[in-house]
Amino acid sequence: MKKMYLVLRHELMTTIRRPSFLLVAFGIPLLAVLIFAGVTIVRGGSPDSGVIPSDPADASELEVQGYVDQGGLISVIPHDIPPGYLIAFPDEDHAQQALEVGEIVAYYVVPEDYLQTGDLIIVSPDPSPFSAHRQDGAMRWTLLVNVLGGDAELADRVWNPVNLEVTNLAPQPQHDSYADEDCSKPGVACESSLLIRYLPMIMLVLFYVFITTGSSLLLRNISAEKENRVIEILMLSISPWQILTGKIIGLGIAGLLQMAAWVGTVYVLLRMGGGTFNLPAGFEIPPSLLVWGLVFFLLGYAVYATLMAGAGALVPNLKETTQVAWVVMMPIFVSYLVGLFIIEDPHGRLATGLSLFPLTSPTMMIMRLTVGGVPLWQPLLAAALLVLTAILVLRAVAGMFHAQNLLSGQSFSVRRFYGALLGRA
Amino acid sequence: MYSAQVSHIAKSFGKTQAVADVSFAVERGEIFGLLGPNGSGKTTTLRVMLDVFKPERGTVSILGGPMSEEKKERIGYMPEERGLYQDMPLERCLVYLATLKGVPAGEARGHLAGYLERFDLAAHKGKKVKELSKGMQQKAQIINTILHRPELVVIDEPFTALDPINTQLVKDLMKELRDQGATIIMSTHQMRQVEELCDRILLIDDGRDVLYGHLGEIRRQYSGHAVLVRLAGELPTVAGVEQVLPHNNAAKLMLAEGTTPQDVLRALMAQDVILEKFEIAVPTLDEIFIRVVEEGDA
Repeated sequence: MKKMYLVLRHELMTTIRRPSFLLVAFGIPLLAVLIFAGVTIVRGGSPDSGVIPSDPADASELEVQGYVDQGGLISVIPHDIPPGYLIAFPDEDHAQQALEVGEIVAYYVVPEDYLQTGDLIIVSPDPSPFSAHRQDGAMRWTLLVNVLGGDAELADRVWNPVNLEVTNLAPQPQHDSYADEDCSKPGVACESSLLIRYLPMIMLVLFYVFITTGSSLLLRNISAEKENRVIEILMLSISPWQILTGKIIGLGIAGLLQMAAWVGTVYVLLRMGGGTFNLPAGFEIPPSLLVWGLVFFLLGYAVYATLMAGAGALVPNLKETTQVAWVVMMPIFVSYLVGLFIIEDPHGRLATGLSLFPLTSPTMMIMRLTVGGVPLWQPLLAAALLVLTAILVLRAVAGMFHAQNLLSGQSFSVRRFYGALLGRA
Repeated sequence: MYSAQVSHIAKSFGKTQAVADVSFAVERGEIFGLLGPNGSGKTTTLRVMLDVFKPERGTVSILGGPMSEEKKERIGYMPEERGLYQDMPLERCLVYLATLKGVPAGEARGHLAGYLERFDLAAHKGKKVKELSKGMQQKAQIINTILHRPELVVIDEPFTALDPINTQLVKDLMKELRDQGATIIMSTHQMRQVEELCDRILLIDDGRDVLYGHLGEIRRQYSGHAVLVRLAGELPTVAGVEQVLPHNNAAKLMLAEGTTPQDVLRALMAQDVILEKFEIAVPTLDEIFIRVVEEGDA
């Protein structure tokens, strides 16, 4: 046990001291923070400006816009648009002057043939499509109410035709914190928040990156020790089991540190920069998702890192590790690709099946959990299957971790790898 | 009392028979030489002896019984293909490997300081291993092998890449370890070092033991095939002499099969020569090695 701890500590300390690890774990998040801060400063805001209010009546943070109604369509400004937020101008010249003196930040031109064409022109000095998209909801809402003869209730029904009630059979809803967010009103931030819309995909990508990079560390580590022949000295000092477990846990902690740094950065950015990401008020990543994330990362890492260690035992040199990594990582890579395509149908049969299958569940289940509405038994079953797989893989790879493989210069082959996993080498 | 006993071991890799039949025993406190041409099975024999490889046949007893995890701490092994962490500073690397042998880090650091000083590496302890010269890395490897004060030291080619001064340093160290009671098994091609250091040897060829015993006895066994002769006049033709070679201020007469030194002496005396020197030539280990390996004269 003590020697296993020595290996663990050695692997952890050696890895986290490496410049490449520091760059990936902390450099990239730091860069993200710097870029974010830079964007915020350029835009003239402050990083802690908070999220956009979900209540359109709160005008304190909304910027005043104008409109030129060439067709005489707009007769009423909806009562939930703050007074003074949308200013009517008789023509474009007046609107342009107001824009130039900073009275308004942008103006819309509603053409005469709007009802036939649906065309709406926005004039703004800000070239960012995101900022335009962020606030045009008020104008759209105004147009809709006026097209429907000023009936705000009817307009509301047209804007949001159904009040979908989802009955979740899971004991606890997965995303109670933002599933109930009021996104029915135009101009409300979550309507246009790309971050929330793509969060499941972001989680899928992040977990794919965490698990593959963490596991690859082990493959490179073992093949490097084979190449520089330290492995023979280690084998005459400690048992193969101690080498294997020490390395898996040590490098796993390093991977966890990297994940913590990245997730922590994302968390800080969300807290600091909700406005930039256009997040609704009260948005937060639910603690249950963080817990499941930790569970699936650790179990996914345990399975793939152990498989990588087994492959490392068979790889004769460092040069071959890239190809070998692909062989081992194929299931999780395929699930990652499939996940990108079935993200719109997260509870379909394929997505559910992949999220339960142990070699694909670490990424697919996280994606589904991020979407929400996953019955509790499914992540529990997926985690149990992963635990079982991790134990079986660890036992199989421990059997591969012997001198005949570790000191051999024989080239790697997929057949030999799977044969060894099944105890035939 | 033996430190290692190997009895009729065999080991193959696929269709290649690396070791066919090797037996030997190493006494406690001796320096034992393991010799053999390249590819003869020396390294595999050592690995089987140390339980790195399981033999297909035969038995091994090390430090009084089968190999165990506990015994690993009592053995120091320097493999043929050197292994140190190339990107680690020298001192950290050696201390880490010593802790894996059960030595507390502080104690290892203390022992190491003395060895680094002795091997002229103290100034380089903070350098990465890959920044050291080949000779320095070899010395570091030797330190790594003995840092935990093992009872049994197994070294594959200890003198590779060492200059004469460092070779002497390593030889002195080996003698010192032996005097302190350690057993040393040394595999090498450098016959001069074997002649100087080893009490007994084993010669392996083609995976089989072909020569085994005390060095003196082996040399005596292989002497009598040549005589050193110095005469006052010219050397006459002598029956039974195959070849005459110059040897310092004398001539080395290589004897034909069946001819004894006594036959040559009698033939010379019969020709009334004035004999200044007549000596049975003792073969060097190199010569024995060549005769055994190339001529199959075991």
